[in-house]
Amino acid sequence: MIFDIVQRSLSSPGVLVPFEALIANSRGSRMPDVRQEALTASIARRAVASCALSALIIEEEDGRSILSLDYGKCTGCGHCIEAGEGAFLLAESVQCGVARQTLVRRWDIERGVEISRDETALTDAAQQIRAIVGGALNIRQVDGGSCNGCEAEIGALTNPYYDLERFGIHFVPSPRHADMLLVTGPVTRNMAEAVKRTYEATPPPMLVVAVGACGCSGGIFAQSPEIAGSVDAVIQVDAYIPGCPPTPAMLLTGILRVLRHRQLRGLSR
Amino acid sequence: MTANLTTRSVEGSAESALRLLQGSNTRLVSIFGSVDESGARRVHYLADVNREYRIVSVPVTGALPSATRVSPAAAWYERELHDRFGIEIEGHPDLRPLVAHPAEYTFLQTQGVGVCELPVGPVHAGIIEPGHFRFSVMGDSVLHLELRLFYTHKGTEKLFEGAPVMNGTALAESVSGDNCFAHAVAYSQSVENAFGISVPPRGRAIRLIGLEFERMMAHIADVGALCGDVGCVVPAAYTARIKESLLQASASCFGTRFWRGIATPGGVKRDLSAENARQFGMAIAQAAADFAGMAHIVLDTPSVMNRFEGTGVLDNKIACDLGAVGPVARASGVRGDVRHDHPYGHYRKITVETPHFQQGDVLARARMRIEETRVSARLIQETLHDLAAGIIRTPVPTDASAEGFSAVESPRGELLYWIRVRDGRIARCHIKSPSFQSWPCLPYAVAGNISADFPLVNKSFNLSYSGCDR
Repeated sequence: MIFDIVQRSLSSPGVLVPFEALIANSRGSRMPDVRQEALTASIARRAVASCALSALIIEEEDGRSILSLDYGKCTGCGHCIEAGEGAFLLAESVQCGVARQTLVRRWDIERGVEISRDETALTDAAQQIRAIVGGALNIRQVDGGSCNGCEAEIGALTNPYYDLERFGIHFVPSPRHADMLLVTGPVTRNMAEAVKRTYEATPPPMLVVAVGACGCSGGIFAQSPEIAGSVDAVIQVDAYIPGCPPTPAMLLTGILRVLRHRQLRGLSR
Repeated sequence: MTANLTTRSVEGSAESALRLLQGSNTRLVSIFGSVDESGARRVHYLADVNREYRIVSVPVTGALPSATRVSPAAAWYERELHDRFGIEIEGHPDLRPLVAHPAEYTFLQTQGVGVCELPVGPVHAGIIEPGHFRFSVMGDSVLHLELRLFYTHKGTEKLFEGAPVMNGTALAESVSGDNCFAHAVAYSQSVENAFGISVPPRGRAIRLIGLEFERMMAHIADVGALCGDVGCVVPAAYTARIKESLLQASASCFGTRFWRGIATPGGVKRDLSAENARQFGMAIAQAAADFAGMAHIVLDTPSVMNRFEGTGVLDNKIACDLGAVGPVARASGVRGDVRHDHPYGHYRKITVETPHFQQGDVLARARMRIEETRVSARLIQETLHDLAAGIIRTPVPTDASAEGFSAVESPRGELLYWIRVRDGRIARCHIKSPSFQSWPCLPYAVAGNISADFPLVNKSFNLSYSGCDR
């Protein structure tokens, strides 16, 4: 009977992933990174041509050619890695951003160096996680029209490997109980009204996090006339978590990043 | 070819299409529209006749006679044609908008003293997809349930148009996120069928491993969620753990948790080393054994059985009439499994036993998922054990023109892609989603139950919203 399962569960080895192994870790997300020393103009052009979603583009700025990689648009299809002759590889760590622009990284192609990177790392977060979360954080997940891929990974956050509850983070059934809305996208035309009303039903102070390539930018559906757009096209957004879908570790990192930001800045937006 | 589907495709009149659907041993598979280069509209009627797919293509010159009168399974397809292609359907019993969401929409009225309407959704309480359910209840009992879906409609079929054939896979993977590999394989096979391309044996075997892996994950998660819905939370957490162990094994052996980016027209992109094959096989064996042991205990727990047994019965006749597919249909005694009826890829070299149950209740659907998990684990082990050597993909012409279609048995049942390619670009892509076909069955299973059992019944179907809405 049921106690047999409890016994089975208790007697199996622990699987809990330590916090340090989760934070800023995006392994398994299939997102690309750039090995800047191998970057050449022709490789950059081929990689850009292979990107169907314009996540990779080349911009001309002050006579320099800049390769720009927008993680908010990238679905990790791997075409740039196939075309990149070793200059593109799987990313170990992908930034989750408070501002949409922090999801964009840029490289000077000729000099092979990255131009700027917002490196506000969550290095001491391991010690401070309870202080950051503040005892309890109630999250209401809202599906604005996603393919259900992000939901599968958000659901995984509560399994015994990631066990979000250990940090005092709970998923709640009503926006009335929520401190944070975790919204996936793209927001379809048919869901736009429901997403707005859910937002209005959430008591302030609250945070909104856009999840996934589609939530950040519309992703692969960006050109469809049937969608209203990314999450921030419909409601005000405080942070962005890229990925298609983002891994549980990326989701946790993004949630902590916006909490830390809010903690440092106070409650005003 | 990858999927040597026996097919007869003919041009015909609307009357001949209706005659096709009326035949014995015939199951409606899909009805969809297309517009060719000259602007001529056609409606394609696709049916399974004695395990042979047949298509009748009908030029549209005016209104079409409704097929719903001869085959109730046609109802939603014809509403979609009316919505999306503006085709008039004569004699259809209900042509209210299906995909489009106009401001004004009239729900069917259930009248009588004491009847209440209970609106639920589109935003639900859990981490799940959006859809609206309108219950007519008397006390606790549900008299009638009306579905209002298509909140996640993203115009996906339209987005395929104009894309190069090699880029279609990424879009197919985003149709239904928890069945992404089945979608990617069905799409890839439709391209291969259109061009008459054969996938190398090793590529076919790796596809089978992915398809059965996806089925295991879906079924294990569903059984856990069913336990959670009846307050049996320890098995719910335990299955979540088993599922995650599979996802991690997949990430370490194949570099992906959900098998995105692996299937491609012509084969697969990712090979498997002998060491990874061994490790993956061990993870599958462990997960299958853990799950079987747990499932055995769950079905021996009276408080679970009390909630599962006799709840949400889907009658065999209704499942047949509405053309239900997959585990939902097989739990109501409807025979049918694409792997068996229209074998494709490596399934032509391997014996698939398809479990069936007659009762059609939540318990039968739970048992279906438990049994299918066992079968899937065996299929993966057999395939890993006998993995063919060699290349994993063949080249695909990128500037040719052709038409083709292909079906796979996704975790939710028959999933079919029909594509038209012009000069290497997709001119039309139709997705027959198993959920689109099976959703209309749900209200029949819910009526007569108490409203508090709805989440349980709905979860036992576990249909995809995004896959249906596209």
